[in-house]
Amino acid sequence: MEEGSIIVLKNLTKFYKGSDEPAIDHISLEIRKHEIFGLLGPNGAGKTTTISILCGLFSPTEGEVTIDGLNIRKDLEKIKYMIGVVPQEVALYPTLTGLENLTFFGNMFGLRGRELRSRIETYLHRFGLEKFARKKISAYSGGMRRRVNLIAGLLHRPKILFLDEPTVGIDVQSRHVILEFLHELQSQGTTIIYTSHYMEEAEKLCTRVAIIDAGKVIAVGNPRELVAANPEFKNLETMFLQLTGKDLRDDI
Amino acid sequence: MIFKYLAALKKESLILTRDVAGLSLLFIMPMFMVVILALVQEFGWDSITREPRIPVLFVDNDRDSLGSQMKHGLSEERVFEIVTVIDTVRVDEAMARRLVLEGKYQIGIVIPEHATQQMREKVQQLVNQTMFRLMYPASNIIPRDTGTDSVKVIIYFDPAVRNSFRSAFISAVQEDNAKIESRTIFETFQNELRKTFPHFTMPILDYRESLYFQEVYPSGKEEVLIPTTTQHNVPSWAIFAMFFIVIPLTSSIIKEREEGSLIRLLTSPVSYFTVFMAKVGVYLVVCFIQFVLMVLAGIYIFPLFGMPALELGTHFIALIIMIIASSLSALGYGIMVGTIARTHQQAAAFGSVSVVVLAALGGLWVPTYLMPAFMQHVASFSPLNWAHAGFLDIWLRGNGLIDVAEYVLRLLLFFVATVTIAAVYRKLKPAIST
Repeated sequence: MEEGSIIVLKNLTKFYKGSDEPAIDHISLEIRKHEIFGLLGPNGAGKTTTISILCGLFSPTEGEVTIDGLNIRKDLEKIKYMIGVVPQEVALYPTLTGLENLTFFGNMFGLRGRELRSRIETYLHRFGLEKFARKKISAYSGGMRRRVNLIAGLLHRPKILFLDEPTVGIDVQSRHVILEFLHELQSQGTTIIYTSHYMEEAEKLCTRVAIIDAGKVIAVGNPRELVAANPEFKNLETMFLQLTGKDLRDDI
Repeated sequence: MIFKYLAALKKESLILTRDVAGLSLLFIMPMFMVVILALVQEFGWDSITREPRIPVLFVDNDRDSLGSQMKHGLSEERVFEIVTVIDTVRVDEAMARRLVLEGKYQIGIVIPEHATQQMREKVQQLVNQTMFRLMYPASNIIPRDTGTDSVKVIIYFDPAVRNSFRSAFISAVQEDNAKIESRTIFETFQNELRKTFPHFTMPILDYRESLYFQEVYPSGKEEVLIPTTTQHNVPSWAIFAMFFIVIPLTSSIIKEREEGSLIRLLTSPVSYFTVFMAKVGVYLVVCFIQFVLMVLAGIYIFPLFGMPALELGTHFIALIIMIIASSLSALGYGIMVGTIARTHQQAAAFGSVSVVVLAALGGLWVPTYLMPAFMQHVASFSPLNWAHAGFLDIWLRGNGLIDVAEYVLRLLLFFVATVTIAAVYRKLKPAIST
């Protein structure tokens, strides 16, 4: 294990029931403290499966995961206090207001009272949502929902933040605010694990990336260094296409 | 743990109360259902106090005592309304047959011409034979048979009429006929004895039935609860309606999964048990209010439709515990179905049909004692049967908590079993689609 690693994956493998093909196949990775680590790959590559295992949603079929020295199989409850999850879907209750959603999810981490209110107010202000705090989520735009979705994963100030395609389908302004905030979080010491289909975004944002295809890691490193080491690639996107192919990857 | 449970409880209450229309339906529909089903049942064949009565076309070609006594007997039944004239036209056999065939009337009865005369001759023959044997016990001569046929009364039934309805009507007619025949035999014997023994002054006696029936309903309390149809109907339909809580509850569970909030909950330091127990807490209150409203409907709305009011009895603690235990069993079932079902369609189809099946098996529609032995055995596994038996114990037999403890225990065990199945299933199967 490298010094400064906060997440270590060893030979992580996952077979879904009824499938002969592994969703992820003996993945080994080390994610360092305070980095923004990008998990990149085409549809069905295994990004969401990897993040789901790291969040404790699925158990791996084989392999080991340690998060900040804790084993995910044995210490999941402790790990849950340490991690924040921002799922791909807007995981909020549409009939509750933004404030009610955030209060509830904060409560689930044991936050309450003035402390919780203060954190919610700070984040709502930071994301320009304070005026809409008492409106139902169903009335929010896509970008506003994404921002509340992000706040809900941050309230307990996790050491590690998992973001599954946080900027998909949102307006440019919302995306800008979110990405800027992720940089801010990183500078404050949060480790961020992030999946995306946007190569340009990943190239700018991530300290390091892992390109995954067919459940295997095919490249790991700093995106600029990876591109620089292979002069035939103009950028991360051309490298990604070269490594994963140009065939359409539809996934169900 | 408690703090998180209370927070989840608050969240569930907020979600439920935000949908005012949905919440109103949760309370109004069961009340509506109980009133409608009880009305249908009350004014169905089972009732002895039904209004309006069932019209019976009565064609009296006899125009003598048999016809008039049968007419009187059927009117006395309080179930039938005798129709002899329609729009100033006297009903004849052809008309009765046609109207029943067209389904405009369900029953038509035709008393043939000379029916009284025929019956009297038949009875007279019987009496003569008996008197002859009495007077001449050693004789080998048998008095001549007059060859009088039995009276044939024709009853037309609408083919759509159910067997139970038909049997009940025939029983009523046969009962009337038996009374008339007995009275005629008695009177003929009296006349014959007077003729045979002219010197013997016999008092004129009235024929009286030798048996009468007193209905007694054994009750666990001094005050006897009369088992009105309301006492039967309210528990049956209230339990049935209560179990339909499965539909909104499963919908809430599946919605949480489909909307993605469950992912956030599963990645939070809160147990799935806490999450669904919060749902149980909120929906338990809904079930309780539903039941109370249905009971209030039994007390205040039923009498407005001419039905007897529901008598609550005196065992309120037993009643409250039965309501809670029944609600929990319904909620446990809902949690299990909602956890296992993958889609709203699966949950709605399975949830509603299975509740109907469990209700039918549980004896809510047809009493279990009328079922075949095998079905009675199956019925004993339905939680709706336990709930029903418990409420009948309280409301009809006047029993208390000790007497219904067995049902309460079964219902609570059912709740624990279904919630455990849901929890184990959730542990084994990922909550999110892969």
